[in-house]
Amino acid sequence: MANHTYVYVTYILSTPSKVWEALTDAAISASYWERENVSDWKVGSEWQHRLPGKSADVIGQVLVSDPPRRLVTTWEAPSDRGNPETSNRCTFDIEDAGGKVKLTVTHAELSEAALNDVSGGWPAVLSNLKTLLETGKTIPDPFGSLGNRPKT
Amino acid sequence: MTKHTYVYVTYIVSTPEKVWEALTDPQVSVIYWERETVSDWEVGSAWELRRPGHGVDVVGEVLESDPPRRLAMTWVRPAGHAGVDMACRAAFDIEDAGGKVKLTVTHTDLSDDNLKGVSGGWPAVLSNLKTLLETGGTIPDPFSAR
Repeated sequence: MANHTYVYVTYILSTPSKVWEALTDAAISASYWERENVSDWKVGSEWQHRLPGKSADVIGQVLVSDPPRRLVTTWEAPSDRGNPETSNRCTFDIEDAGGKVKLTVTHAELSEAALNDVSGGWPAVLSNLKTLLETGKTIPDPFGSLGNRPKT
Repeated sequence: MTKHTYVYVTYIVSTPEKVWEALTDPQVSVIYWERETVSDWEVGSAWELRRPGHGVDVVGEVLESDPPRRLAMTWVRPAGHAGVDMACRAAFDIEDAGGKVKLTVTHTDLSDDNLKGVSGGWPAVLSNLKTLLETGGTIPDPFSAR
């Protein structure tokens, strides 16, 4: 049963608008995630998560888009669309918390294998996002040394 | 009663020695945690989490101490503390990961109330620790949004 939920919270010295931009701008997401997040981010539109110049790792639909506060998307394997065993749902909640942003990622409807994968991936992705927004730089080889390349 | 485990992982552009120091030096911990972590960090020694001007929040015993790689201790409320009871343990694993540190906090033997408390607390503490080590600055009012 794909009924596991993964939650990660991080506080970032930034603004909700900059966090939203980092999640939805292909060039910025590529800099900390090694993947471009591509969509017009309108409800009902498709989004893609892809290695620059390559085909998408993840595709899905935009379910909720309330910039700069909330983004909900489905995540599906391009080869396996509509399969409830491999599709899941991710919510970004972006809260202005007075000089800092509270970012909560809630990844739901996960199979056990997907829970394992995202538990390795999200800390690396979100640590690098925080580093980028706070320092302008990124973590060296953020997914390389520990086998924590983000997957779905 | 079911006991829970809470795990939080963060990657920090730093060295294991600096992360160890930030966890074990009260003058550093007070900067990002608003609390002093006080002990000689020998196995079997007592440790305390002190809030300057507000007494001691947590006491316990150092169970493992392998600087700068691993630290584990029990967490108990001091007698008379008004907070939720706890009889749990926390372990810090500090891994050199090539230009960055992988810090894993594993908090075990948590009651339902403890799980709720630490799920709110650790992200704020560890986000501020990462900010301090990477920028030299801290997050304003880091625990206001818990």
